[in-house]
Amino acid sequence: MKKYIVILVLAVASLTFTGCKDFLVEAPILSQTTSLTLGDYNGLDKAVTGAYSPLADGSWYGAMYVLDAEMRSGNAMRPINNDFTSGRMTVPYTMSYNESSTSGLWGYAYYVISAANNVINAIDEKGDELLTGGVTQQDVDNLKAEALALRAFAHFDCLRLYARTDGSNDALGIPIITTPQSPDEMPARNTVTETFNQIVSDLTTAESLMSPSYARSGGVSSKCYFNLNVIRALLARVYLYKKDWSNAAAYATKVIESGDYQLWTAAEYPTVWNKDAADKGGEVILEVYGAASNDYDEYWEGPSHMTNPIGYADCAASFDLMGIFEEGDVRGSTGIRGKDDGKVMFCTDKDEKSLGQMWTMKYQGKGKGDGTSTPDFSNVIVIRLSEMYLIRAEACVNGAGGTALSDLNAIRSNRGASLLSAAGAAAVANERRLELNFEGHYWFDLARTTATLNYDDGVVTRNLDKSSNYWALPIPKRETDVNENLVQNPGF
Amino acid sequence: MKKIRLLMAAVALVLSVGIASAQNVQVRGTVTDASTGEPVPFASIQVKGTMQGTASDALGSYVVSAPGNGVLVFSSIGYTTQEVAVNNRGTVNVSLVPETEFLDDVIVVGYGTVKREAKTGSIATLDAENLAEAPVASVDKMLAGKMAGVMVTAQTGQPGANSNIRIRGISSVNAGNEPLWVIDGIPVMSGDQGYFTNTSNAMTVVNPNDIESITVLKDAAAASIYGSRAANGVILVTTKSGSQGKAKFQVRAKYGINQFANDNNYRVMTGSELLATRRQAAINAGINPDDPTGAGYFPYSLLTREQTNWLKAFTKIGNMQEYEINASAGNDRGKLYTSLSYQNTDGITYASQFSKIVGRVNTDYKLTNNLTLGSRVNLAYTYNRDTEMQALYYANPFFGGLSIYPWTPFYDENGEYNTRISENNNTNPLYNMLRDGEVQWEKQFRTQASMYLEWQPLAGLVFKTNNMLETTNGEGRRYWGPDPGDSEGTLQTSVTQYVRLTTSNTATYNTIFGDAHSFRAMLGQEAMKELFHYYYAYSPTVDASIPYATTSIATDDQIGYDYSAETLLSFFGNVDYSYDQRYYLQAAVRADGSSLFGSANQWGLFWSVGGSWNISNEAFMAGLNWLNLLKLRASYGVNGNNNIAAYRAYGVYGAAAYNGASGMLPSSPDNPSLSWEKNYTWNVGLDFAMLDSRINGQIDVYTRDTKDMLLDKSVPQTSGFSSNFVNIGSLNNKGIEFQIDGDIIRTRDFSWNVGFNIAFNKSKVLDLGDTNEMSYNNQIKHTVGKQFYTFYLKDYYGVDPTTGAALWRAKDPSDPDNDDAYILTTSYNKARYIYCGSPEPNFTGGFNTSLSWKGFDLSAFFEFKGGNYVMLTEKRYLNSDGGQNMNQAATALNYWKQPGDTGVYPKPLLNNGTNSAAATSTRWLERGDYLRLKDVTLSYNFPTRLIEKVKLSGLKLYVSGLNLYTFHDVEWFDPERGINGMGSGIYPMSKTLVGGVEVSF
Repeated sequence: MKKYIVILVLAVASLTFTGCKDFLVEAPILSQTTSLTLGDYNGLDKAVTGAYSPLADGSWYGAMYVLDAEMRSGNAMRPINNDFTSGRMTVPYTMSYNESSTSGLWGYAYYVISAANNVINAIDEKGDELLTGGVTQQDVDNLKAEALALRAFAHFDCLRLYARTDGSNDALGIPIITTPQSPDEMPARNTVTETFNQIVSDLTTAESLMSPSYARSGGVSSKCYFNLNVIRALLARVYLYKKDWSNAAAYATKVIESGDYQLWTAAEYPTVWNKDAADKGGEVILEVYGAASNDYDEYWEGPSHMTNPIGYADCAASFDLMGIFEEGDVRGSTGIRGKDDGKVMFCTDKDEKSLGQMWTMKYQGKGKGDGTSTPDFSNVIVIRLSEMYLIRAEACVNGAGGTALSDLNAIRSNRGASLLSAAGAAAVANERRLELNFEGHYWFDLARTTATLNYDDGVVTRNLDKSSNYWALPIPKRETDVNENLVQNPGF
Repeated sequence: MKKIRLLMAAVALVLSVGIASAQNVQVRGTVTDASTGEPVPFASIQVKGTMQGTASDALGSYVVSAPGNGVLVFSSIGYTTQEVAVNNRGTVNVSLVPETEFLDDVIVVGYGTVKREAKTGSIATLDAENLAEAPVASVDKMLAGKMAGVMVTAQTGQPGANSNIRIRGISSVNAGNEPLWVIDGIPVMSGDQGYFTNTSNAMTVVNPNDIESITVLKDAAAASIYGSRAANGVILVTTKSGSQGKAKFQVRAKYGINQFANDNNYRVMTGSELLATRRQAAINAGINPDDPTGAGYFPYSLLTREQTNWLKAFTKIGNMQEYEINASAGNDRGKLYTSLSYQNTDGITYASQFSKIVGRVNTDYKLTNNLTLGSRVNLAYTYNRDTEMQALYYANPFFGGLSIYPWTPFYDENGEYNTRISENNNTNPLYNMLRDGEVQWEKQFRTQASMYLEWQPLAGLVFKTNNMLETTNGEGRRYWGPDPGDSEGTLQTSVTQYVRLTTSNTATYNTIFGDAHSFRAMLGQEAMKELFHYYYAYSPTVDASIPYATTSIATDDQIGYDYSAETLLSFFGNVDYSYDQRYYLQAAVRADGSSLFGSANQWGLFWSVGGSWNISNEAFMAGLNWLNLLKLRASYGVNGNNNIAAYRAYGVYGAAAYNGASGMLPSSPDNPSLSWEKNYTWNVGLDFAMLDSRINGQIDVYTRDTKDMLLDKSVPQTSGFSSNFVNIGSLNNKGIEFQIDGDIIRTRDFSWNVGFNIAFNKSKVLDLGDTNEMSYNNQIKHTVGKQFYTFYLKDYYGVDPTTGAALWRAKDPSDPDNDDAYILTTSYNKARYIYCGSPEPNFTGGFNTSLSWKGFDLSAFFEFKGGNYVMLTEKRYLNSDGGQNMNQAATALNYWKQPGDTGVYPKPLLNNGTNSAAATSTRWLERGDYLRLKDVTLSYNFPTRLIEKVKLSGLKLYVSGLNLYTFHDVEWFDPERGINGMGSGIYPMSKTLVGGVEVSF
């Protein structure tokens, strides 16, 4: 018996004392340390791919940034027939925003900004160290340009949501973040002008760094990444918001004249929305990819479901919007869901129980689900060629030189709409609404042009002028709670 | 171990279990103390070699039937066991010799047992004898209200669900507040281990009837031998082992029903009530309710339809059944206890079921005179099914049952269950339950297997090694069948595995020297490794006729995987010393290294010291015969807490796929200095017993500081992170606990016992690093100087009597810093925030009483909590002032109707956009006090003389009711809403009535 005891004691002792040190090391095997990720070109390349992924979050292009804006602007409404409502989108519909119920874009925008800053910072710090294994300076520059453009893009979307872009340039903008932050830092808000300047600076630097032939490899659709055209198209849009008319026109022209994009014809127009960008042909400059495999995927809450009468359906087209299209304009064509898919731009439900309510077909889905037991997915277009024509037209009427009429008619002639004979600011604004409705522009157009919004559908009434506080939505309360330097927008 | 069993028998008698019963008189006598001549109450008298036996009464007298040539075995805690031959005598008087080693009750403590008298820390014990009668699935449910300072909160009433246990309040923000569970000497896994369901409480692995005793270690002195994980207290569970003598069998069966508990008759509106309200809301909003094309079309014709009480339609009477057989046997070499049980509970919905099969084998065998080998093997299989019954899911039958319009048709035009229910997102919970309820489940296979070897080379010196393998293998399935007309369903499946390996090795030395010096020292080492992984498959397009992953189109499938590993290495020791049964000292130290922390800070050192003074054993107290025990205790110590997720110390990038390509995103910041959270506890206590120990109790006062708190500190999102995990801040809990038990009547045939316990605890946040407040959620904050959970809400005032609009208090612009000065506003956005109460109860406790007469036993147990607030955020939907298109609570009928109305809800407006019903508002805060009649049990033990004839040694019948009635003022079914007081949309409590039979032979 004693023999066994000795063996046992030895066994226990050896278990106990061998490898005490290693015994307490358990490193994560399913993730990668920050220093390793940011240590070489391949790691940085993946860090840039990853930095795109929050764009598909629900608070951004996945797609409440777009649909909430449509709801606020009066392009969209909650369906009259309650059989088609789920209670979602109540806040933008009834305009009951408060600091606890507001867009969550803030966190995702700064998440992308910090992911981009990590890459930019690592590239600047590592310098030539990255040039190993056939990696060239141009490869590194392309990465840096992408990261700079992502940073600018996130700042821009954040700025126009939480700050006034109506030209009151000393107004509160958003904090500009261009370096990796420690969690202790409490940045204050920069002015709108400062924010715009940083965005322009990042985009022009990106433009100078990026190779004209660069396109990110990997992924289903190359249109879901930033290339030189995307950077220039963004510059056109940012200059427009900044009211720098000549630069807006110049960059729009660069994109139009790149020859890489063609306007859709009236026949093509209703057929493209259920496809990936590669199959859409002509117009798409940048879109956000929709798929269940995305790390950020809103599943049932995605845009396809929210605008589908057999889905949550809470985001229908308003009667106001349906009234602005002229006969024959394909952009206002209507039909029945399930019967006219791919033929028209607005559909009512297949049983026609919705009292003539229409839903946009711009997010009709790629056919990956049936909308009742599995959700469908849509790519969400961020920038397309028509917008470039419209930017140039608006710049023209504001004195950038040239004429708006040809640009507007270039679009209208491809939409089955009558050609205009004259084009002023109102015509441009109207054309933007006709062309870009349900793509998240109208609300921000109203905001930046100090327009008045009068909306009444019998359920809610909205009369907003320059004095309204809603043009700059409340910053989420969690942010003002933890950052004492952050000033909340007036009225919230 | 045997001593503990005897203690339990004695305690059981005190609590009037009623083992003894009238029988034929053959041998009578008195048991006395050999040294004092005083009678020895509750001594055990057993006929050797049989199951028969009795206990002496309060005066030491006993009566037992025994064969004339038999032998009686007399034993009692603290006395040497004596055997006396009957020799055909009618009277046998016995003097028991006090045993020096066991002068008092023994209780199980960390890595051993101690005399109750010797304890220096704060310890509560629970007699497990009666627990088997309670209709519960797991042992944690039985602790509620039983022990001072041990608060058990049901997170949900769903069968098989986990409960939250807080011992002396809340000590930690992030490192967990659940106590450590130790079963038969080994710390085990606890909490919920399900993937889809939240009814996979790890504690269901233990059959409550297998439990011999439960000890709760509350303060540092008692718990610090478990060092790193002892900050929230330790619950020690000891399971039964066999006993010497003839094999004993017990067969138990019980059956019962359960029913929705709604003692306040909470309800939603009937059709006519709702229609009137909706029409008024439409008119108030300027909408014509009779316009079929308008947004507020609510014609009177809706009432001509058949009206449905949806909640009633979605719920039913459930039932529960349980069957068990156990056997116990032993001789002078070996002991065996084994049991097998089956339990099934069908809940109060059509898709809530929990069933389990548990088997146990406990063996102890003396290999030689100084070498003992034993094992504890427990195997369990649990099966539970449900649909989404938590939170405000559309499929949740409890919320759907409240929110669906009464006039919504029950059946569609084809006679099928109506699924076009727009106010509930076209979801019919009943349809979902019947369609998916059978195929949506979690199965778990659990093993707890340990083996020990004990070697006693010298008297007083014991080496022990105890090694356990613990596993949980789970398999889950969640299935959504196709909606009518479709053929594809969505299937999710999961496979989870938890494995924990523990080795625990101790050396203990006990000695007595001089006249009265007693000394015990223990040294030990422990190592633990825990592994976890899961696979998850999502198959959105399975064929409904073959709803398995094989029929899914592979390109649509998604796979998830997670893995984590954790290790802990510990060295510990303690020393006990006592002198003359008057002075006791105890010290413990433990060093723990954990893989969870940064490399620089892996090791933590924890320790405690405690002392007690048994005043009643002092010579100067000798005259006070009415006082049996008076003992003063004091202790101080430090415990740790590492109950955090793995890898928090590592700054990492995680995978982030986008556009079909793999990318990487930052997922946590670097944190190499992350380390232990520590708890520093003072405890002073007094134990007393008087009047022949008829009354005994204890009082404890404590204060506990949590320092270096592991805080998931909210940080500005401009940093790219929402939070950062750091060791900052401190928190204090202080409180008083009081427990008293009394035998008011104690005679042979009749006894009456009452017990009462109450614990007051108050937390206070002392420091949060560089900030004064942290948000827990949109309604609760942690703020320096306030209770840990403090509600922070917009200050609702009431209704403007002239307009019916909701009013809030806003800061007075002329005096913004004065909380007493305010102005009224109709704008929610302008309303001020105020701190307004805490979901933490000021006091918790329970009282019990039991009566026994001859073979009958009647016991009742009440549990209570008070001083806490609960938040009913569901009311933002159900009392929405017209804002929500769904049925409304009946209380919403009391709305503003005309100028002058006060104390009413605001004027309802269809599509109300005023935020009057916003969730973050004092409007939904209510007092959460309650008193619950938790348990009433009536049992009858048949007299031995009757059942002897059918060769039985025991026959017991009982009926028991659980959650019979709850007194409370909360406008909801039940006042319990989890630790944070916010549990919204939860499965409500049910009341259960069971009857059972227990046969021993």
